[in-house]
Amino acid sequence: MKTILNVTELCKTYIINKRQNNVLKNVSFKIDEGEMVAIMGPSGSGKSTLLYTVSGMDKMTAGSVEFCGNDISSLKENELAELRLEDMGFIFQQMYMMKNLTVLDNIILPAVKSKRNKESRKETAARGRELMNKLGIAEVADNDINEVSGGQLQRACICRSMINRPQMIFADEPTGALNHRSSDEVMEELTKLNDEGTTIMLVTHDAKVAAKCTRVLFIVDGNIKGEYNIDRSVSLRDRERGLNNWLLEMGW
Amino acid sequence: MYFRILKKDLKRKKTMNVILLLFVILSAMFAASSVNNIVAVVNGLDYYFDKAGMTDYFSATRGEENDIKVDEFLKDSEYVTDYGTEEIIYTTSESFRRGGDKLYDFSNVGFVQNVDGCFLNLFTADNKILKSVDEGKVYISGAGMRKADIEPGDKITFEMNGVTKEFEFAGFLKDALFGSEMIGNPRFLINDKDYKDILKDETTAEYSKGRLYYINYTDKNAFEESTAEISPYLVLNFSRSMIEMTNIMNMTIAAILLVLSVGLLVVSFTVLRFTISFTISEEFREIGVMKALGLKNTSIRGLYLVKYFGISVIGAVIGYFASVPFGKILLASVSQNMVLGNDNSVLYGILCSIGVVLIIMLFCWSCTKKIKKLSPIDAVRNGQTGERFKKRGVMSLSKSRLGSTGFLTINDILSAPRQFGMIMLIFTISTAIVMILSTTARTLASDSLLYLMSVTESDVFLSDSERSMNTIASVKSIEDTNREIEDILKENDMPGDVKMESWYKIPTEFGSTKKNITFMWCRDTKTTDYEYTEGTAPELENEVALTKLVADDLGCGIGDTIKLTINDKTDDYVVTAIFQCFNNLGSCGRLNENLDMTKTPPATSFYYQIEFDDHPDDKVIEERIEKLKDIFDTENVFDKTGFTKDCMGVADTLATVRDMVLILTLVIIVLISILMERSFITKEKSEIALMKALGFRSDSIIGLHTARFAAVLIAAEIIAAALSIPLTSLIMDPVFGMMGAIGKIEYKFDPKEIFLIYPAIILAVTTLSAFFTSLYTKSIKASDTSNIE
Repeated sequence: MKTILNVTELCKTYIINKRQNNVLKNVSFKIDEGEMVAIMGPSGSGKSTLLYTVSGMDKMTAGSVEFCGNDISSLKENELAELRLEDMGFIFQQMYMMKNLTVLDNIILPAVKSKRNKESRKETAARGRELMNKLGIAEVADNDINEVSGGQLQRACICRSMINRPQMIFADEPTGALNHRSSDEVMEELTKLNDEGTTIMLVTHDAKVAAKCTRVLFIVDGNIKGEYNIDRSVSLRDRERGLNNWLLEMGW
Repeated sequence: MYFRILKKDLKRKKTMNVILLLFVILSAMFAASSVNNIVAVVNGLDYYFDKAGMTDYFSATRGEENDIKVDEFLKDSEYVTDYGTEEIIYTTSESFRRGGDKLYDFSNVGFVQNVDGCFLNLFTADNKILKSVDEGKVYISGAGMRKADIEPGDKITFEMNGVTKEFEFAGFLKDALFGSEMIGNPRFLINDKDYKDILKDETTAEYSKGRLYYINYTDKNAFEESTAEISPYLVLNFSRSMIEMTNIMNMTIAAILLVLSVGLLVVSFTVLRFTISFTISEEFREIGVMKALGLKNTSIRGLYLVKYFGISVIGAVIGYFASVPFGKILLASVSQNMVLGNDNSVLYGILCSIGVVLIIMLFCWSCTKKIKKLSPIDAVRNGQTGERFKKRGVMSLSKSRLGSTGFLTINDILSAPRQFGMIMLIFTISTAIVMILSTTARTLASDSLLYLMSVTESDVFLSDSERSMNTIASVKSIEDTNREIEDILKENDMPGDVKMESWYKIPTEFGSTKKNITFMWCRDTKTTDYEYTEGTAPELENEVALTKLVADDLGCGIGDTIKLTINDKTDDYVVTAIFQCFNNLGSCGRLNENLDMTKTPPATSFYYQIEFDDHPDDKVIEERIEKLKDIFDTENVFDKTGFTKDCMGVADTLATVRDMVLILTLVIIVLISILMERSFITKEKSEIALMKALGFRSDSIIGLHTARFAAVLIAAEIIAAALSIPLTSLIMDPVFGMMGAIGKIEYKFDPKEIFLIYPAIILAVTTLSAFFTSLYTKSIKASDTSNIE
């Protein structure tokens, strides 16, 4: 398998009120193509910081991150923006969308912005609708973002993250603001995407969500404390049980 | 607890609170200065004339014999309550020199006066009444003299009939009688000893001495009719209303300031209303949280009311103090010639500031009404109830051909019509004011108003006060003077015809109404050469044309017969036409060229009009004008555009006001753009972070934020440009109408200026301010999506 993300000795330090706060301490790991990796850990352990740093949204203090063979620490602001636009997809806990655009327009916005996309506007819109159809939200395409449910909105966010056919999707607690049913629906879609070959890295608090991934990294105080591989061929209940036992061992 | 929440709020939302404070300061500043200026402008002339001690009527005599006759008349008149006099010496621009050259070419006669004999109060630049002048010093009044490029301390040589004196210029004076742009008679105020030295010359004492009479009467009409008796002894006579009219251009500028002030008031309150509702809508989440914690509606509302009250009081106090210098800047161009102000400015300022606080509290009270409706769930939904049925976005990206930045720019504007509509309104008002001023200034500086001077077109217009004085004093006839100038032209290889319009004060009767009317007459033109608004030109000797003002005053119309007394002979004349003109403030008539007026000395002579035999082009005329300036040793040689500009007098002042308003507009637009953009950044922080996370480059986001302001401004400029001509006509027609132009004025506008230069300047400045402010979006990172509330 080809390594898509290679993180080596990554450090991230914030200085708040003249006090140094080392959020990530020499973190190293790899994610291969086609993997779906969950980052778990207690609150304040550095999960989200890790996700934002390795995706180039935040600057690292030390170490290196290679994404598809490119060292993102050496990239300039505009090059990072291009990388996020063309090769990465993002899903946030709060389902951020542009409030003046319809659901479909929000989805296709990155494609319209993309320089790599040579499709006509009509073709892009058709592809957006196709993605929505696939995720079961085609009926809300022309709705205002306030006119749809949280679950539908998060699925729209998944569509948006997919629109530029990214190498990898980064998701920060994608089910964090959803109810149980919506959460299951969203995770089902993400798992499907992963099965189709999309690499995913997600941050979660929920063992049920993590059990649907292929690997779990457990992070405590800015260090990766353990790594747990999941066999998707076993039943979900067994996967959850196994993961919960491991998390207990980790002190969860 | 209550104050701890408040303290935290003030600290945490520092940016929005500071923006609100700045808008309150602006509003209080605009309101206090505008109201004070409105009061000052509306009461302007009355206030000024009262301070100056102006009387109901004014006249001027020359020569002791005439003084005696006028004195006797005034003492015996049953209508005169009281009168005062000032002794003067008539002089011309030839008498005042600086380094050998003329100090300034004032086209009419000037008056040298002893400061001790002043009846009227004349004011120094700082609005103090001039009480004394040191020996060897001179104060000068008259709007025209301000163009003389002279500074206090400069040396001036006075020379008249062999008496030479050196004076040091002490400063300009504000003169209620002769201070306006439309009157070209300057006054020179000197010390008693210097004055007596000049009068030591017998010729001066005998021929150049005269008096200014300031008269109060009981019955306007009866007194003015009775002055027909002394009319031959008067050089000048005006009623107070006519003197008020001479200040019309100052009042025009003041009126423009009034429009500007009202515009500023509208701008300030619109901005304030927007800012308050904007900041309160930002508080939805917290209101929801407070409700969830169990705080009562009244407590939550009270919290915001206390906060806004605090901010508005601080802003209003600062705004009040800032309004004093700001108001002075606004009035500076007008108060150069007038004493403007009001005795209650402090009170008005304080009342306005209190008014601003009350209005803010009212806005705040109405905006916080929403608190009742908000539920704790709004804390989660950030103010959105989900019950909005109107679509927010009005465009569709999937159907649009625009690029992402272009689409988002237009879509954002159309999706928030109230926000951007308000900005557009402010930009439109500001731009339209500049455009109206520009069109008016250009019209005044063009020859499109030439016909309103009631002259025929000529190549060159020459003013020679020395020669004019000789014709008025019957030293030389008009015809001889014209021939003399023609000879000079011939000697200098530019032969041409010379003609001149003469003005006569003629006692006129219609029915029981008697008036002294100024009639114009030119032997070398035909009455058919002039424009009339009604009727046909007076083609016979016993026919006349009148301005509408005179016709209304006499109560006559076309076809009526009026009586004119010329050279003690009273005859009937038929009114055949009505015309419009600015001369004598629209109060005049025209006599037929075949009427013999050569035996009557004119009251005033206008410009010598030259028409060259070889019909030269503009370039040659320009060269000849320069030559004529040297030949006649005067700067008062003009082409038809320059002549119109000189007659109107105010074109340059208006151009200065236009530039000042342009700067003021730019400052307002810059301030509003900066503050609005900063508010938008605060409000759209989550969207900016999201766009960055999605891969939008910082320059795309900066471009979007800048483009929104640029697009709104371009739309505002298009509206302002489309409205500028009808608005100019709407605002300026009544002003020109007051001066005698009752018909349609053909406004001159420079498309380059209206559609290119001013819009480009305003657009460049606005775009730059929006651009520099939007650079702040760089501080918002893609990872801020995790920190947004």
